[in-house]
Amino acid sequence: MNVSQFHALKKRQARVSTIAPTGLSRRRFMQATGGVAAAAAIGGQLLKPWTLYAAGNDPLPLPTGSLGPFRVFAPYRRDDPNLQLDPPDAEPSTITNFNGVVGLAYIDGTVTRTKISTGETVELPSLFSDMRFMSGVYRGVDGKPRQGTFALI
Amino acid sequence: MGFAQIDDLNPGITPFPSGLFWTTRLPEKSVHANPGAGTAVMEAHDIAVQDFGDFNNALSGNNGIPATVSFKVQWSGVDERVNVKNPSNGFAGEFVRNRAQMEWSAVVGDYSFVSAPLETSSSQFAEVGTERNGSFYPHS
Repeated sequence: MNVSQFHALKKRQARVSTIAPTGLSRRRFMQATGGVAAAAAIGGQLLKPWTLYAAGNDPLPLPTGSLGPFRVFAPYRRDDPNLQLDPPDAEPSTITNFNGVVGLAYIDGTVTRTKISTGETVELPSLFSDMRFMSGVYRGVDGKPRQGTFALI
Repeated sequence: MGFAQIDDLNPGITPFPSGLFWTTRLPEKSVHANPGAGTAVMEAHDIAVQDFGDFNNALSGNNGIPATVSFKVQWSGVDERVNVKNPSNGFAGEFVRNRAQMEWSAVVGDYSFVSAPLETSSSQFAEVGTERNGSFYPHS
């Protein structure tokens, strides 16, 4: 979920700013920072096989993606000039070796935030929340077929 | 000017950056779907995530603040039916492009969040379908 604070501008432009700094599309942002992310990772987990972190029944990430080093695509409609995500036919699933039902949505709404200790509340926009599910058969780290349900939140 | 993102709630990327992207396991009965009709409901409660503050930090490899989220997402309608076969990425699917709505809540430290009712939300893009990839993709 993405929660934003209003500073005053047209909502259309504001949606973009929740995805990336003003003037940068999500894809451009990834291209600009991909090197930094990769460099940071080389000093840490990237040098180790990722399966060391996973249980046998854990699903595997996609072998590739469109956002720099990250294993995800972002299918989106073609008629929004403010966002340069992937074509609508891009893959919605984030796991591989999968056969099942999927759902994807980018959702806008509003949310009330309460500071629990004081009771102070404020209403905020919740913009472009990327919500997905994958439910079906998958082969995990150990290669065995299993039933499972997963979500991108 | 504009909006400044102040919360970005997701399960993280482990290991960073090549692991599962913001993806976590849900209880089996969290999803009910009829993809041919374009309908689906995903509902889950008290899912462990982290609050990374904003999108940039969520992709930085930094740790976030532990949080929990609950949500209900509902897909409906049939605006378009598409069949996709993508040999280069090794996936195929049949999708209904439609609309989705969501209500959600979260707790992050000293803050709680409760969204407006599901009916007040809207989607910028939504689809439901069936997909196969990887070892289930028909390569022949």
